[in-house]
Amino acid sequence: MVERISPLGEAFRPGTYGNLAEGPGVTLTEATPVTIAEAAAWPGSAVALSGAIETVTGLSLPAAPGAGVVGGGAVAFSIGPGRYLVAGAEGLSTKLQAAISLDMGTVTDLSHGRAALRIAGPRAEWVLSKLFALDFSPAAFPVGEGRATAHHDIFAQIQRTGGEQFDIYVFRSFARAFWQELCAAAEETGYEVR
Amino acid sequence: MLIPCPHCGPRDVSEFSYQGDATRTRPDPASTDVKAWHDYVYNRSNPAGRHSEYWQHAGGCRTHLLVTRDTLTHEIQAVAFARAALNEGAGKP
Amino acid sequence: MSARRTSTGGLIDRSRTVRFTFDGKTYTGCAGDTLASALLANGITLVGRSFKYHRPRGVYTAGVDEPNALVTVFKDGVREPNIPATQIELYEGLEAESQNRFPSLDYDISALNQLAGPLFGAGFYYKTFMGPVVGPIKGTRFWMVCEHFIRRAAGLGRAGYDKDPVRYERMNAFCDVLVLGAGPAGLMAAEAAAKGGRRVILAEQEPRAGGAANWSGETIDGKPAAGWAKTMAERLAAMDNVRLLTRTTVWGYYDGNNLAALERVGDHLAARPPGAPRHRHWSIRAEKVVLATGAFERPIVFPGNDRPGVMLAGAAERYANQFGVVPGEKVAVFTNNDSAYRAAAALKKAGGAVIAIIDVRPEISAAARGLAEEAGVVPLLGHAVVGTAGKRLTKIMVQRFDAATGRLSGDVRPVEADCLAVSGGWSPAIHLASQAGRNPAWDGRLNAFLPPEPTQEWTGAGAFTGAMTTAEALSTGRDAGLAAASKKASRAKLPEVAAPALEVNPAPVFEIKADGKAFVDLQNDVTADDVRLAHREGFVSVEHLKRYTTLGMATDQGKTSNVPGLAIMADARGLPIPDVGTTRFRPPFSPVSIGSLAAEKHQHFKPDRLTPIHDWHVERGARMMEVGLWHRPMIYGDPGETVEQAYIREAAAVRASVGIVDVSTLGKIAVKGPDAAEFLDRVYTNMFSTLAVGKARYGLMLREDGIAFDDGTTWRLGEHDFLMTTTTANAGNVMQHLEYFLDVVWPDLRVHLTSVTDQWAGAAVGGPNARKMLEACVTRSKVDNETLPFMGIVHGEIAGAPVMICRLSFSGELAYEVYCGAGHGTHVWEALMEAGEPFGITPYGMEALGTLRIEKGHVTGAEIDGRTTARDLYLDWMLSKKKPFIGSALMDREGLIDKNRIRLVGVVSLDGQPLGGGAHIVEKGSLEDLGESIGHITAFCYSPALSKYIGLALVKGGKARHGTRAFVSDALRKRFGPVEIVSHHFFDPEGSRMHG
Repeated sequence: MVERISPLGEAFRPGTYGNLAEGPGVTLTEATPVTIAEAAAWPGSAVALSGAIETVTGLSLPAAPGAGVVGGGAVAFSIGPGRYLVAGAEGLSTKLQAAISLDMGTVTDLSHGRAALRIAGPRAEWVLSKLFALDFSPAAFPVGEGRATAHHDIFAQIQRTGGEQFDIYVFRSFARAFWQELCAAAEETGYEVR
Repeated sequence: MLIPCPHCGPRDVSEFSYQGDATRTRPDPASTDVKAWHDYVYNRSNPAGRHSEYWQHAGGCRTHLLVTRDTLTHEIQAVAFARAALNEGAGKP
Repeated sequence: MSARRTSTGGLIDRSRTVRFTFDGKTYTGCAGDTLASALLANGITLVGRSFKYHRPRGVYTAGVDEPNALVTVFKDGVREPNIPATQIELYEGLEAESQNRFPSLDYDISALNQLAGPLFGAGFYYKTFMGPVVGPIKGTRFWMVCEHFIRRAAGLGRAGYDKDPVRYERMNAFCDVLVLGAGPAGLMAAEAAAKGGRRVILAEQEPRAGGAANWSGETIDGKPAAGWAKTMAERLAAMDNVRLLTRTTVWGYYDGNNLAALERVGDHLAARPPGAPRHRHWSIRAEKVVLATGAFERPIVFPGNDRPGVMLAGAAERYANQFGVVPGEKVAVFTNNDSAYRAAAALKKAGGAVIAIIDVRPEISAAARGLAEEAGVVPLLGHAVVGTAGKRLTKIMVQRFDAATGRLSGDVRPVEADCLAVSGGWSPAIHLASQAGRNPAWDGRLNAFLPPEPTQEWTGAGAFTGAMTTAEALSTGRDAGLAAASKKASRAKLPEVAAPALEVNPAPVFEIKADGKAFVDLQNDVTADDVRLAHREGFVSVEHLKRYTTLGMATDQGKTSNVPGLAIMADARGLPIPDVGTTRFRPPFSPVSIGSLAAEKHQHFKPDRLTPIHDWHVERGARMMEVGLWHRPMIYGDPGETVEQAYIREAAAVRASVGIVDVSTLGKIAVKGPDAAEFLDRVYTNMFSTLAVGKARYGLMLREDGIAFDDGTTWRLGEHDFLMTTTTANAGNVMQHLEYFLDVVWPDLRVHLTSVTDQWAGAAVGGPNARKMLEACVTRSKVDNETLPFMGIVHGEIAGAPVMICRLSFSGELAYEVYCGAGHGTHVWEALMEAGEPFGITPYGMEALGTLRIEKGHVTGAEIDGRTTARDLYLDWMLSKKKPFIGSALMDREGLIDKNRIRLVGVVSLDGQPLGGGAHIVEKGSLEDLGESIGHITAFCYSPALSKYIGLALVKGGKARHGTRAFVSDALRKRFGPVEIVSHHFFDPEGSRMHG
């Protein structure tokens, strides 16, 4: 098994930075799910497809737009009508491909194509609000749910994976630039890179 | 201007790409009626008021939306997924 | 403490002394001061020179409406001009300078402009400098001569040239209720909405909440109003569902109840904490908005009303009550309404000597009389101020005045005063309402415009609505807050206000007509006579008036001048004020830093897009170039090599042995589904449904209008699974184009598209030894000609990483594109380098890539430029006749098949000199007579294979000119020389090398 190289390169520098008067307000990490896949249903097959996702991952996805679940070893959230981003362990794409028939929809492996950057901490909502025009409050963006949005040229799919934690999936080629922007935005609250 | 995307909720217009007049119809692909194609490709109405337009939520769920919008006030009267709206209409080539 | 500083009272902290400099001289103030209050406390009343006439000017207001006291602030190594001193919070070490004066504030040469007063009236520039040259000193040519001097003399502060090193940020916020203004009305509204469970943002432009409560001298619930407001604000700030933003000006009201605000995060700090921005731009999306923006006091216009020492009465009251500063030693008051009496009493209480109250009205309310008594003067009713004297105010002239007729009578009496507090009534601050509403309505009793009917989701409260008393502010504030929270009106007891029962309606007196310059707009030096001149010259519409006289322009946007200006125009036209109309207020409400609009620090607008092998290229010493957002190697230069030497070496190495290039940037789209093949048949000009699994095909797309759009290879990985590649530049456009057709045109097709550009790292290896080196490193698949023929695809492994290899050639050599997971990109690349080492593998960059493709005559975006057709590029062999496809219906239109269209050819430099991109091709060989352009060069290089400078070109007639001579003409680069027009297939036209 060949090790996957992080797209962050030297921009990933563990340590604490910025205004640490009240301790780091957020922690920035690279979440490294082994598999990231997109599963997409044909019109009318969304329920069947989310059933197949549940069979493979054990995650029960509600039908609502933006719905998502954070489970044991996997996460899934809606990124468009009938489209889901599923992340988890090795072999997940293959299992999804097997469970999702051509009549139901398609699966595309994006394990190398997306990077998942994680921001966690009491000021995570504040820092993300600098970059995205999304309402990050827990009422508007509950745990598990996902949102697709953009920061200028950088397209981002964001899942709230905890009360104070978000995973941001960006195109791998933009990961380093976005990481640097995230760090810059977090200077005000202080941040720790882990 | 906010566009209420049926999947993503209200989002700023900067997340969307304007994809043109939704009132025109594409001729049958095999049609050689150049005038009909010419109308489809080049001629647009430019109404002051209510208009049907396609907007793609490019910085979001990527779907094309059929938006009914007042071009004078920016008021949006209706939004639907273009694909669902067209499938309901049926009979399209 | 200075003489003008009171010993007690106000909201400043006398125990904290703050040092600052003004025009290089050091002064002290107190924490809580503004620069304006601190200057006044130091007895400085002359703080600037006016725009046109260089008249001495002082502090006129105490807030955002300040037209006069503009200064330049030096901070963080940059100069920022035109900041109102009333808006600068004092901090230790503040450095400020007065403006528009030379050599000094006290002795200003350009003050001579005052003598030339009549010359600089309304329309001076238009009349003097526009139009044909008639006589010696008129016309545009004269302007050329004068411009330099005029630009130096006129205007506001001077901007700096240094880069602003300071950080600005933006913030997105969402709330149920946004309350603008944290005066008594706004505080009540915010509290009501917050208690109703709504998420509330309360924005206040001043550093502290409270608004007029901070200086009204009233009591609320038995406490000083300022204390009441402080407690309210603290209570609100402690609530989870309330965000109190002070120093935050909401300046724009946009569609969808989106509001723009500027938070001055760090201006008041001597040093900002790390990472803290100076300004933060807020984009706030609110369900409901409560406008509690209060009202602006306006002046009465009279001759000499601009002298330092003249200020608005409410401002004088504020200096006394909030800042503990008496703005003069002998204060006179001039008013048309009761509010100034409160100011008089406050000034007296603060220790000032109130010399006189001059009131245009013949009668006043009992409450006003009471306040006059407190101030210790008997008001001079039925009088007006008709003039002033002194560089700094020394005296005022008073005359009997009939408010009904506007007539002056009797003797002019001088009264000694160094401060004149003026009030002409109050105008609701309807600026934001005007951005989100219809036309404002004139109120004949308040003599002011009231807020318009809303066109968005807002309600109003307090003085903004014309409810001028504090008690009304509290009740309308609570009502608005409850309404915004969709709660029923409350009958609970409101806080009790103890305040004099003043008459809120002013007398309709806007101007005292007497001899001398009477200023309407102090910032732009627009006088009452300028307004009348504009009227006489036909500029009677308010919009024309504004543009002709500049009334209401510049940084204060006419906050003090708007209504007086209209009133004077109405009087001149003999119309009621509402019939003259008002200009609409546009954003911004008050000046906004450009930095906050750009806001973003870290390349947000242009992020670096890096390939998976980026770091290897950099370490290898590649010179990188930007291609759109991507960073790609241009050359891998050896020490001492020029760019040309490097690419020639790299390209030659490919043809001689083997080279490798990073092609990860190519757009890649997964096209999947039962109808994927059918879909590709419709979007490509050629057939894809006939393509075998495990094979790739070159495809061309047209636009609907028949013009070539993009090209690339598409690989059939499975029956219903294709991998489409696009050009790097067009990847996004192609994706959007395909999505459009699936969503809108063929919604019945079951096809999914996913961008997988970033999923795959791509390396193209090409050259006579390409296969040999692959054989050395690829496992789990053979790569011989039989297993991997031209356009074939195999799956294997390199150094343990799964790879997909397609035999494609862009270079014309035996070549392969090796794709692997992006995270394995560098790993596989390094393994390829190792396998190629025995063959002397050469990594090559964009320059060599371009050279190789030009030698082969392959087209790219330079030729598929949005104007060319498939025929123009000799790609008509790709136009299927068996099926319709996007663009097929219009591609054969008359103009698109014209013989004389410019079409693809090759050109060879005949003088051994390089060619240039964009150079014209001409037929005539004389520099004096070039004749017509017959086309242009799209790409050029030195060809190591041909040992010549060559290029691709689009030339009229195309092929028909092969073998003929022409000339390149490139006036820009001064390049002219002979070329031969040849086939664009320069090298190995039979393709024997890539099929080998």
